[in-house]
Amino acid sequence: MIYLELVVQGIVQGSIYALIALGLTLVYGLLRILHVAHAALFTLGGYIGVLVTNSTGNFPLAMLTAMIVVGFVGIAVYKLAYEPLLEKPPYIALIASIALFIASEEIFRILFGPYGLSYTNPPLQLSFELLPDFYLKQGELLVIVGSIIMLTVLALVSGKTRMGVSWRATVTDPKMAQAFGINIQHVRYWNFFVGSALAAAAGVLVALLNNLVEPTMGSVTSYKALAIIVLGGLGSIRGTLIASLAIGIIESFGTIYIGHLMNRDAIAFAFLIVVLMFRPQGLLGAK
Amino acid sequence: MNIKKNMIATFLGIGLLTSPSFADNVRIGFHAPLTGFAASDGKSAQNGALLAVEQINAAGGIKGDILELVIYDDQASPKESVPIAQRLVEKDKVVATISGSYSGATRAAAGIFQESGVPYISAYAIHPDITRAGDHVFRTSFVGEVQGRAGAKLIGEALGLKRVVVITLQNDFGKSLAAGFKEKAKEFGIEIVAEYEYSIKDRQFGPIVSKVRSDKPDAIYASGYFFTAGPLVSQLRAAGIDAPVIGQEGYDSQKFIDIAGPASEGVIITTSLDRDSKVPETMNFIAAFEKMSGQKSDMVAASAHTAVHVLANALRTSGDGTSLRDAIAATDLTASTGHISFNALGEVGKAVQVQIVRDGNWHHHSVIDDAEFLAAPTE
Repeated sequence: MIYLELVVQGIVQGSIYALIALGLTLVYGLLRILHVAHAALFTLGGYIGVLVTNSTGNFPLAMLTAMIVVGFVGIAVYKLAYEPLLEKPPYIALIASIALFIASEEIFRILFGPYGLSYTNPPLQLSFELLPDFYLKQGELLVIVGSIIMLTVLALVSGKTRMGVSWRATVTDPKMAQAFGINIQHVRYWNFFVGSALAAAAGVLVALLNNLVEPTMGSVTSYKALAIIVLGGLGSIRGTLIASLAIGIIESFGTIYIGHLMNRDAIAFAFLIVVLMFRPQGLLGAK
Repeated sequence: MNIKKNMIATFLGIGLLTSPSFADNVRIGFHAPLTGFAASDGKSAQNGALLAVEQINAAGGIKGDILELVIYDDQASPKESVPIAQRLVEKDKVVATISGSYSGATRAAAGIFQESGVPYISAYAIHPDITRAGDHVFRTSFVGEVQGRAGAKLIGEALGLKRVVVITLQNDFGKSLAAGFKEKAKEFGIEIVAEYEYSIKDRQFGPIVSKVRSDKPDAIYASGYFFTAGPLVSQLRAAGIDAPVIGQEGYDSQKFIDIAGPASEGVIITTSLDRDSKVPETMNFIAAFEKMSGQKSDMVAASAHTAVHVLANALRTSGDGTSLRDAIAATDLTASTGHISFNALGEVGKAVQVQIVRDGNWHHHSVIDDAEFLAAPTE
């Protein structure tokens, strides 16, 4: 039973990775920018989630507020930081992104204090026995179910709607898409809005599981999400989802059975290195 | 050199405003992580130190001179603390320095102070090698192994629990605690049923929690800081594990109770600060700190406060042929974290305070005061 529990814990962690890494993949697919500052939006989501929950007592409202506000902040990041640099080589935007991320940690510290924030009455903390001797916390169940719902909606939108079609057209060939009358600017705004909102949702969920948001909460996420999109094959959405779950589950088992040799980040990166030795293009990347 | 804050904080007691204008300031250095992941501990430590300086100056300073703290942010990183140490020695010309930082930063800076002959006191960094830098380096808190031993005695003897899971933070803090714990575990009949390690960046302990539940231990000895221990304890309790959790001074913050919430009730730790103390020095510190900072007192604040008082006391008794280093070595002082004296290596000898969370606050549980058992290394 312990193996099943570890798999489920891995899926919980993997779902969170997926929500975060997806935004990164979306941005990379569209603009070829490695959006490191994405992790700052994840942290911001966590802060908004805790602040709104604590002041209103309404967790769903907090989740919604965090996603919308952070979605717009994501658009602002694109508009202010990346758009002016689009003509420059991609590493310039990467440097800007790293700078933004480092600055954000200190901004969070100045705005919200160095001590971090917690839910005063953390919601969804009860555990229930799903199978004999197999427990799951409500919050953990929400992480899994919530991720599935959000990702399904995203898949439907990109597959079935006009918006989705223009998004995919822009990713494939921006110039051609523009020639067909697609407003590329709108596509980019939506892209940042959706990616950032998903990161915010992940931030709120992580805050729920840990009952702690702190200025440096995004530091691991920033490079772990990069590793995940590389593992998945840069720009591949399906690859990102598979890589997220794989890393989550490997970390889960690794923490227990080889945790005294390597910490969980080292385990994740060792896995990445091994995979890249055999598939340099990533799990689902095109050669 | 990246120094984000270079504050020179001078606190004038009202009476001193009339003191002669030729009075010199006595400058002491202080470095702590004021930004970065450890900023909350750094801030508390800084407040504890500033409070001590304020109290000392209000009581007449050092032989009539004003005590002045030269503060730097080291981000808990040796990369920062080394240039800071050089600057304090060469440019600021401090008479001594206090570290309000973690082991990595403190250990790296210790060598520089030792070479320059400037006394250096580690307020709460626990790595054993810090004081081994030389005879000018002192520590006013417990070395990690000593506190680990105290944890084994507490669990095996006082609480009488025998099947223990050890959860260790993968850094010098966690490792040295675990080493001390394991060294004495057998002596108290403790069987370590499993041991897990986690990194300082971890906040999600799902896999470890699942495994601990299947281990069914009598007690859990978990090292960590409040920002790792808070999530850990809350996740253990949410998973229905009710075995007692025993921690150490890293938990010692009101913030731990905020994070873990009701799950923190009954958690027991070994630390340096007794909230229910009847010792005037400790009672005064707790009241004055809460008034000054608006925060509940914690171990790092008390430790920095103690270190400044130890230094001020030595500054008063030095001179007339006694060097400051010798005056510190001869310390025999009751401060906010207990009665302080040093052994030949500069390690403190004092009692271990055991605290328990009750009704959302830290409270007195017991005291481990066995000088022989707690003896710090002497070389």
